[in-house]
Amino acid sequence: MPTSHRTSGKHSALATFARRPETGSLIGFVVVFAFFASLGGPVFIGAPGWSSWLNIAAEVGIIALPVGLLMISGEFDFSVGSVVPASSMTAAMLSGHYDLPAFIGIAGGLGVGLAIGFVNGLLVTRTSIPSLIVTIGVMFAVMGLTLGTAVLIKGSTSVSYVPDPTTKALLGQFINGMFNVAILWWIGFAAVFFYILHISPVGNWILAIGGDRESARNAGIPTAKVTIGLFMASGFCAAFVGVAQVMTYQQAQVAGGQAFIFNSIMCAVIGGVLLNGGAGSIIGILLGTMTFAVVNQGVFFAALDPNVGSIIVGALLLAAVLSNDSFRALAMRVAAKKS
Amino acid sequence: MKLIKILATTTALALTASFAVADEHDGPDIFVIGDKPDDPFWSRVKLGAEHAGLVAEMHGGSVTWLGPQNYDNLGPDAAELIRQAIDQGADAIVAPNWVPEAMDPAFEAVVAAGIPLVIFNAGGIEAADRLGALNYVGTVDYRSGYAAGEYLANDGQSNGACLNSLPGAANIEAFCSGFQDGMIESGGSGSVLQLPATAFGDSTAMAQAVRAHLLQNPDIDALFAIGDQDTNAAISGVQQAGRMGAVEVCGMNFNDSILANIQAGTQACAIDQQGYQQGYFATSILINYVQYGTTIATREILTGPGIIDENNVELVIAGVEAGAR
Repeated sequence: MPTSHRTSGKHSALATFARRPETGSLIGFVVVFAFFASLGGPVFIGAPGWSSWLNIAAEVGIIALPVGLLMISGEFDFSVGSVVPASSMTAAMLSGHYDLPAFIGIAGGLGVGLAIGFVNGLLVTRTSIPSLIVTIGVMFAVMGLTLGTAVLIKGSTSVSYVPDPTTKALLGQFINGMFNVAILWWIGFAAVFFYILHISPVGNWILAIGGDRESARNAGIPTAKVTIGLFMASGFCAAFVGVAQVMTYQQAQVAGGQAFIFNSIMCAVIGGVLLNGGAGSIIGILLGTMTFAVVNQGVFFAALDPNVGSIIVGALLLAAVLSNDSFRALAMRVAAKKS
Repeated sequence: MKLIKILATTTALALTASFAVADEHDGPDIFVIGDKPDDPFWSRVKLGAEHAGLVAEMHGGSVTWLGPQNYDNLGPDAAELIRQAIDQGADAIVAPNWVPEAMDPAFEAVVAAGIPLVIFNAGGIEAADRLGALNYVGTVDYRSGYAAGEYLANDGQSNGACLNSLPGAANIEAFCSGFQDGMIESGGSGSVLQLPATAFGDSTAMAQAVRAHLLQNPDIDALFAIGDQDTNAAISGVQQAGRMGAVEVCGMNFNDSILANIQAGTQACAIDQQGYQQGYFATSILINYVQYGTTIATREILTGPGIIDENNVELVIAGVEAGAR
């Protein structure tokens, strides 16, 4: 009797692991890392390799976290692509062009992100337009405003700004000459979003809204407030990356940032976030981001044609969606058997 | 009543607008096909075209800038813009020949429609001759790259890599092959690092690619970047690879931070295409041709390459402050 008991316990532990939503993402990460480690050699496995892909992961990861949360609640945010350059232009313009103290530039840049997020949230909750369309519209509007304002004020499309040492150390420093300080910020953001999604009651609200918005509202969840809050979070995080880029590269450009739109969505999906909402986890998004970054940087260490990287990312995306579906089916089956 | 009034006004305005376009006796309506106007280099080209356009406006004409929304499909997008310019009744067209395979049919349509054409920025005099354009205004991309390669090799560097963040575009390929030849013919060696097309405009992607490439290829001691944003990112990549001082960076185009870097010694040189002049001369040649029938006897009007390094950077900065560059 005790023997059979133990086996069943072991079996259920394995089954629990297999049913965890992050399992697929973890397997994907390990496979991809092993693949590039075998091709990339000692430099890729050492600190230079790790810092190389972690630097990429940190920037896209800071945006992928709130974008993933929005997707869990059933919404998309495409406007992040223009919030990044808008906020970096604002920060560089305030502190570089007008010579105001760094904290005013930073606050201005982040404020732009929060404001754009608020507008997104308001439009999505007050109208019946899908968030995909709302945020694409806002993205183009912000893009035009950024360009217009920059040309009007500065007469050019790039603004330089050399930050003071403290600001540089906080937002644009390379620790040990390699690790971008953004990696620490990414971990910080991840901790905050982990608390929101998995510990605080708001997390369950987000999942419930993604599952069924109507029922969530009927159950007394302030759906509009949660949605607006989430959009403001993604605006804030995209703005944070924009401001950090100014401090890192000492200049802001009107263009750029578009890559973050699809990259952040891909990180979330590879990390197991359900496209139509209702499921996903922070650990999954982190793993998805790391997988994405390893592929992106791995190609350079493995001396592969960079386009191969794009093919791998595309294939991973499809594999992630497929494996999410099968893991979910597995979980459903086991759960059904129990009851 | 109010609504009818508004409708009537709108119709009247629309009619006036369409008459303005249709009027054959108006001054020259020049269409300039360029890149995204938010690109730092292209904003200068656009300014040059607009300043030349003041003369067109004096004659009652106009200068219209058509640029793509993004770089994802550059050749076909630009070809489409050329056809739009024909459809909108252009009196003359200025356009770059970025991707000949995709764009040549559109240029042939321009010439077939009897619209005067000037090729600028990319393609060279060969493209102008092949397509039957009046002239070519711009730099020879190969020579720009060559100048950078030659400069770095003469500066004591021996192994150079060209950072191609826009694979497939003819002018970027020419930058890179020129750079390689410039390095090789001055006694060094050269290669090309291809980046995925999605990396264009993303500083972090460029910086990390450069760094990974330098770590895997410790022999490389010279880099050539194809634009000012890429140049700043490449310098960050060199710093992160711990190769500052050992690897020299040269780049196409310049901005405030690049001039500061040349002053500080973190960047070796910048190759200036003098974009303002490209927009200005290409547009004004056509305005005068359409208005007065005058031509420029010199074929192939070169606006560069000019090399900016520590020896002349002060002069360039003074030029920027004076609004001349």
